[in-house]
Amino acid sequence: MLSRSQTSYLFRESFAGFHRRKLTTGVTILIMGSALLVLAILTLITFNMGHMLAKARQGIDMRVFLRADLTDTQMAELQPRLVVIPGVKDVTWISPEMALNEFKANLGEDAGILDMLDENPLPASFHLTLTPGARGLDSVRAIRDEVADWEEVSEILFNQQWIDALEQWTFRFRMASLIAGLIVFVAAVFVISNTVKLTMAANARVIQIQKLVGATNGFIRTPYLAEGMIQGFLAGAVAMGLLAVAGWLFGDRLGGIEFFSPAQIGGFILFCVTLGLIGSWSAMRKYLTMRSEI
Amino acid sequence: MKTDKHSNDGPLEARSVIGFYHVDLQYKDQKALSNVHFSVDNGEFLCLTGPSGAGKSSILRLIAMDAFPTKGEVMVRGMLASKMNRRRIPQLRREIGFVFQDFRLLADRSVEDNIAFAQLVVGVPRAAIMKNVMRVLTQVGLYGKRQRKPHELSGGEQQRIAIARAMVNSPKILLADEPTGNLDPVTAQEIIDLLFRINDGGTCVVFSTHDHQIVKTFGQRVIVIQDGRIASDVKRRVPVDRTASLADQMYRGTDAATAVDNIPATARQETVHA
Ligand SMILES: Nc1ncnc2c1ncn2[C@@H]1O[C@H](COP(=O)(O)OP(=O)(O)OP(=O)(O)O)[C@@H](O)[C@H]1O
Ligand SMILES: [Mg+2]
Repeated sequence: MLSRSQTSYLFRESFAGFHRRKLTTGVTILIMGSALLVLAILTLITFNMGHMLAKARQGIDMRVFLRADLTDTQMAELQPRLVVIPGVKDVTWISPEMALNEFKANLGEDAGILDMLDENPLPASFHLTLTPGARGLDSVRAIRDEVADWEEVSEILFNQQWIDALEQWTFRFRMASLIAGLIVFVAAVFVISNTVKLTMAANARVIQIQKLVGATNGFIRTPYLAEGMIQGFLAGAVAMGLLAVAGWLFGDRLGGIEFFSPAQIGGFILFCVTLGLIGSWSAMRKYLTMRSEI
Repeated sequence: MKTDKHSNDGPLEARSVIGFYHVDLQYKDQKALSNVHFSVDNGEFLCLTGPSGAGKSSILRLIAMDAFPTKGEVMVRGMLASKMNRRRIPQLRREIGFVFQDFRLLADRSVEDNIAFAQLVVGVPRAAIMKNVMRVLTQVGLYGKRQRKPHELSGGEQQRIAIARAMVNSPKILLADEPTGNLDPVTAQEIIDLLFRINDGGTCVVFSTHDHQIVKTFGQRVIVIQDGRIASDVKRRVPVDRTASLADQMYRGTDAATAVDNIPATARQETVHA
């Protein structure tokens, strides 16, 4: 294993590249941080749309309206038949009076016009709550198709279109984030690879001597791998920092946007570190396979 | 170390630290060595000479396993080039010291840091590094200048630092590729004397040169390379008295060198080992 003197050497060398080119490295990290910020924002939007979708799905419920000429007994018989449908969690009976009250509440001030009616035009209905597993569009449609065939049923409503659209948008954003992620990934790997190449070029003589005196490739490459990872880490931290500042500045205008959880921040930064590792790894292939030039 | 492969045909001596067995070396578009066959004993002092492009550096490269034979076999301290695992090359390099014509010191570090660096990167503990650096600096007579930067030293001093660095890991073999190439004759001879002292300590030394004067005065084994082949391999019989003065040595060495130069190459081979 490494001796103490080796460890402290490696530690110092890992920061030597930054030390030698403070400005270049600083600018590089800022640029990468901004690119990663774009990625983070897209990811954040995708996440939030995911949350919205999940919430909307929780809100999916069905209203099964019944024919007006049914007797109370006929209606009562329907309830057990609805409950046993797979995916249905709860069935609530809503009488025409309850529906009217609900309608009045929704109309608010304008509810007065309903008083002109001498008869309640609203049909009775059942309100179905669905189990979480049955909130996908497919299963909702399956339930609808089953119930729609019943002769007692006049109409079935659910908030399908809205969820449909949301689902599509979430998908689009996810794709966009993925593509943006790929572009940012390649660009960042390239940039890190280049800065590490610069460091290695500046150290060509040192690397040559290390090989000459019998340092292992593992030892020689460690500080350069570390440099790439540190750069990735800093760029990721910059992106997260900028995002936090943006959230602090505009947060109240964005309403209920949910920020990354600490675990997600950790994951994002880990992604950036990996990116740095890949960058520096690709940078050093040439140097480690080169002859010692004896 | 013997291998079955070698036992049929000109075995490499058991006491050899370096063995070349009918070695060819082909670079991409250039044949550098043909049928090079010789071995070097433990503690031997060998001079490789020959015109530019003859293949001297190539031989040293093969010993360091920075190049591998296209044909034949190279053995260094029991390790065979054909069976060498790349991961074990660092281990081999720790047993070999290198010196070059252009010194190859790190310009931004002091003399002692340059030497310590060779130990640091192979994992020697700090206390031992300090002791070893002091030892080799004293050996090359430059302990007093340990805090200077390389550019604050003369060429001869820089080369002595390079030798100190090569020796700090206590290698069994010291390879020097034209170590005197950039030095004036007197300084060059001082470097050769230093190599002699290192050889006296038991280290096998192989150096290359095309400096005629050095070859002439060199009272040890000389291999002449020409066009990638061994043209002659002569062990000088004249013992060189290293306590004698430089002038004395040069004088006596000259006799031996002249004598060798006058024998035809074919006849010379008989006096030789291998
Ligand atoms: N890396 C290489 N690639 C291709 N050809 C090479 C390489 N190194 C050396 N050669 C060729 O191999 C031959 C032997 O070269 P080598 O360096 O061993 O000669 P040398 O005896 O050390 O010469 P010098 O005295 O000029 O240093 C030369 O013709 C040279 O051009
Ligand atoms: Mg050469």
